[in-house]
Amino acid sequence: MAEPIRFILNGEERAIAGLAPTTTILAYLRQHAGLPGTKEGCAEGDCGACTVLLAEPDGVGGLRRRAVNACIQFIPSLHGRAIETVEYLGRGGLHPLQAAMVENHASQCGFCTPGFVMQLYGAWLTGALTDRQSVKDVIAGNLCRCTGYGPIVDAGLDLAARPVPDTRAEDAALAERLVALLGGEMFHYEAAGGAWCAPRHADELADLYASRPDARLVAGATDVGLWVTKQHRDLPVLIDVSRVEDLRHIEAGPGRIYIGAAVTHREAASHLAEVHRDLGEMMRRFAGYQIRNAGTVGGNIANGSPIGDLPPALIALGARLHLRKGETARSVPLEDFFIAYGRQDRAPGEFVAAVEVPTLEDNQRYFAHKVSKRFDSDISAVMAAFLLTFEDGVVSEVRLAFGGMAATPKRAAAAEAALVGQPFDAAAADRAAAALAEDFAPLTDMRASSAYRLKVAENLIRRFEMELRDNPPARVSLAREFA
Amino acid sequence: MPTHVMNEALGETRLDKGAQGLIGKPLDRYEGRLKVTGKAPYAYETRHGEGVAYGVVVTAPVAKGKVVSIDTLKAFSSPGVIHVLTGDNLPTNSAQPSGDKPAIGGGQIHFYGQVLALVVADSFEAARHGASLVTVECETREGRYDLDAERPNAKVPPPGNMPPDTARGDFERAFAEAEVKLDETYRTPSQSHSAMEPHAAVAEWQGGQLTVHTSCQLVGDNTRQLAAALGIKPDKVRILTPYIGGGFGGKLGIGPEAVLAAMVAKEIGRPVKVALTRQQVYQVTSRRTDTIQRVRIGATRDGRITAIGHESWCSNMAGDDYFEPIGLSTVFLYAGENRLITHRLAELDVLMASAMRAPGEAVGMLALENAMDEMAEKLGLDPIEFRKRNEPDRNPEDDKPFSSRHLIECMEEGARRFGWSEREARPRARQEGDWLIGIGMAAASRKNLLAQSSAEVRLEPDGRAIVLTDMTDIGTGSYTILAQTAGEMLGLPMDRITVLLGDSALPESSGSGGSFGAASAGSSVYIACEALIERLARKMDCAAEDLTLKDGTAVAGNRQVPLVELLAGEALSAEGTLQPGNATKDHHQASYGAHFCEVAVNAVTGETRVRRMLSVCEAGRILNAKTARSQCLGGMIFGIGTALTEELVIDDRNGLLVNHDLAEYHVPVNADVPQLDVVLLDKVDRLASPMASKGLGELGISGAGAAVTNAIYNACGVRVRDYPATLDKVLEGLAEGGGRQ
Repeated sequence: MAEPIRFILNGEERAIAGLAPTTTILAYLRQHAGLPGTKEGCAEGDCGACTVLLAEPDGVGGLRRRAVNACIQFIPSLHGRAIETVEYLGRGGLHPLQAAMVENHASQCGFCTPGFVMQLYGAWLTGALTDRQSVKDVIAGNLCRCTGYGPIVDAGLDLAARPVPDTRAEDAALAERLVALLGGEMFHYEAAGGAWCAPRHADELADLYASRPDARLVAGATDVGLWVTKQHRDLPVLIDVSRVEDLRHIEAGPGRIYIGAAVTHREAASHLAEVHRDLGEMMRRFAGYQIRNAGTVGGNIANGSPIGDLPPALIALGARLHLRKGETARSVPLEDFFIAYGRQDRAPGEFVAAVEVPTLEDNQRYFAHKVSKRFDSDISAVMAAFLLTFEDGVVSEVRLAFGGMAATPKRAAAAEAALVGQPFDAAAADRAAAALAEDFAPLTDMRASSAYRLKVAENLIRRFEMELRDNPPARVSLAREFA
Repeated sequence: MPTHVMNEALGETRLDKGAQGLIGKPLDRYEGRLKVTGKAPYAYETRHGEGVAYGVVVTAPVAKGKVVSIDTLKAFSSPGVIHVLTGDNLPTNSAQPSGDKPAIGGGQIHFYGQVLALVVADSFEAARHGASLVTVECETREGRYDLDAERPNAKVPPPGNMPPDTARGDFERAFAEAEVKLDETYRTPSQSHSAMEPHAAVAEWQGGQLTVHTSCQLVGDNTRQLAAALGIKPDKVRILTPYIGGGFGGKLGIGPEAVLAAMVAKEIGRPVKVALTRQQVYQVTSRRTDTIQRVRIGATRDGRITAIGHESWCSNMAGDDYFEPIGLSTVFLYAGENRLITHRLAELDVLMASAMRAPGEAVGMLALENAMDEMAEKLGLDPIEFRKRNEPDRNPEDDKPFSSRHLIECMEEGARRFGWSEREARPRARQEGDWLIGIGMAAASRKNLLAQSSAEVRLEPDGRAIVLTDMTDIGTGSYTILAQTAGEMLGLPMDRITVLLGDSALPESSGSGGSFGAASAGSSVYIACEALIERLARKMDCAAEDLTLKDGTAVAGNRQVPLVELLAGEALSAEGTLQPGNATKDHHQASYGAHFCEVAVNAVTGETRVRRMLSVCEAGRILNAKTARSQCLGGMIFGIGTALTEELVIDDRNGLLVNHDLAEYHVPVNADVPQLDVVLLDKVDRLASPMASKGLGELGISGAGAAVTNAIYNACGVRVRDYPATLDKVLEGLAEGGGRQ
């Protein structure tokens, strides 16, 4: 039974009916709700000018808040949630952050400003603003063409120095209202020829998707959003997997982490960082903060992009992908999921349920590095991830995975063969580096030349070898150091 | 109407005396509160609700050819669609700033993405859907997209911002005879302004009168351009643009969205909103040209330049004569008896090239300042010492005096603060882990421009002042500076000043561009205030020079009268106009600076990270220490982007600007930018304008990128002459042993 989208906008209950499910939150705010403070700079999640704050019940009586790009989020994702915009923040006079933005001249032309304000405010409320580095990290997905960012960072630091207010009582009250809005049934919205369903459990999802294999699954909409805003595609039936409770779990068990497909990058990041610091660093540079708040681990894998950052990182670790269709569940090694460009091992009606990531053993060494032209919010030129297992000083097992080198995320079989059964020394690294030319014939495009991709892939293998020596050269994380 | 022609220097003014203490102070932005609360209304946000129609632009799917047919039937029958505008008279893209109006297609396709149609519907979504249903059939011809290939066909353009050629002495002979020579060629790619606010317009007719809310930099010119495009008189058009989400030159000429919105609003009799998508901003507004620059420097063994040559090639669409004044700084920055500066223009079937932040210097100084760095190394001289040895005492082009010049002071101040003396002249001398560390510097200069500008200042009976002018604030701080100027002149605190800008019904100003806004528009406010002061002095029965205005009071001798009392219920109003005059012709005027940069280059991946950057800037009187610093910071980050990431990539098969979005056209993110440091030298240049300030908005970018690439060379020994210095070019240089000289 179709129902309106019920949510709370800047403290007031609202209902939407009649607008197409693929209407973006930004279009709704600016055109229908009379709230043009939230800006459209790109309509594809690149600039952060449209940042708004979403809150949802956290299941234990409080709220979970996250900043997202309103330009690529669809309105049904508001159901049962609360949204705050820049207009609301200044309702009782300037918020201290807004005052600090004025004081520091953190706004020049002003068009990016509301996005920065909401991003910094949201991060502060959730305790993510601590020091200069944290301020820089949280605004990674906000572009400014005027200020040089320093004044914005300074304003963020002024805010970070202020105690976060205790909002538990208000949050609990709001959470209660939201739970009531959500209702007890699976959310189903229809308008203007489009339909949206948000199943709550994997069983519900499995039934629904098996009956409508033509539907498009959507989780964080960080890619699907662009199909609408950029490619103008019609998406008549959408199934929202982001509310499927059993797909949102992370289980950190002995020897492995089980990450549900609808876990966001932000939620997964801390767990991945515990597996290895390189994974934490990669996740810090993965897209921008708002995208990590919306995009999901399952989505990054299932859309099969040759330049997604997670697949190579997880393939190297020996991750397995869990899929489900109707009642049938199966799992495959992650690398086998990617068949060819734009083709994955996924049957109609089948969905990615989780990815299972082994943690490192004592005799294993891992390395991952994202190479991109721009430090944040950039697609990798090359993403490399390596895992070596040693027995008696000799490489017993090796997994070298790359993104950006082929039409799919791919292991380097010839280079791996050059390492197995040998000590991992400079000569072995050179042999593996030389063998990469058999594994890959990368493209030249605007992200990097073919020669560069091959060269940097070789260099990263050599760099890994240097790191495993007794006195490795320091590998400095520059963003931290230079902040 | 009081008009001041800038023929000679003014003596000490009320701005020097500073009775109210506003000029130069680091005051907060006048409209800051509106911007941080999201309440400043930008163009697209001015009309809502019933009756408003939405337009979506349809663009050409090829770069060159003829339009055979445009099938609009499906779009017309799509729900919500009201109208589909097509025709040979539609604007193809933005107008050239100096042009009469935007170019029209005339049935031909001149570049990929050219405007072909506008679909108008009851909602944005319906218009967007309708636009996706329009099909275009074209006869495609082979296009020209590569400047290198078209370089042999390049022509001498007519004079623009500067003459195409300037020469002195016998360059070829002096260069041939020079003891030490440098001859290198540099390339810079096309760039995009990428202001955060996409171009947008809302047009509405009432009878024969058109009102357009849009986002533009030059209200007066833009009003005339829009009227000309519509074939109506300028007085029938009113443009409103109070808040502008960045311009950087990309909104100097009227945009196609404004013309289209006005055209279709008339046809359907409803207000129409048109915003370009981000992709269309890249495709149908304008770009900065790509360039090829050959720089030759000949010098004596002790480092005196005897010959300096800067020959350049840039591109534009067929029929457009605008050329980037690449050699603008080379004309005057360094001494040398024999000089040759040339500009050639090649035709490309690519979007119109036009002005972008510091047209000329922004790319020309990359080549010049790299060449100076390379030449210093050849001579075994410190780069700053080499520049000092070639400091001219008069403009080397024509021996005219400089109005003011503090380049050496900027370099010395910067060197001291940055720790330049610790620099290792030899590349690759510092390494930290995987990172090769180096520092570099470059000089900065930006030719000073002044433009005619008018403003009205009203003193209200309640003692408040209102400044009225069509001047724009594109983020630069116009509101604030003009309020400070009026406040200082009339002795009023900031909260007693109201500034109304960006409305073509107000007196015509210089507009924003070429770093001339603060001096030009500020001077017009100064002149208007002077006229008001004369009248107040008469009321006080004293000479104007004996009248002090402070905190809303008039003081003359031992008499002190509150302004409100003096006005006695009367409002006073005066309009002031500034006209450029002989002071500009008789003197060479420019702002100067010096950039210092430290980079780390990763020996494994070729990634470059800027670790520190300092710019010392001198632009005459600093009107507001905060807005001035902000302008410099903005210029520096443009410089970092120019050096490392920004490049419009053109598909050589079909002419498509491939990276037409903010994901792939890489403006720097905050992690690409360290804490930038700016030092402002506060001077006065009374020959520049009554404000005694020179242009500052573009000084920060001029030369900044060269400081970055000079630092890359110092770090790793790789000289990238093909901008931007991306990781693949740097790593290739490292692999070729560039770092092991």
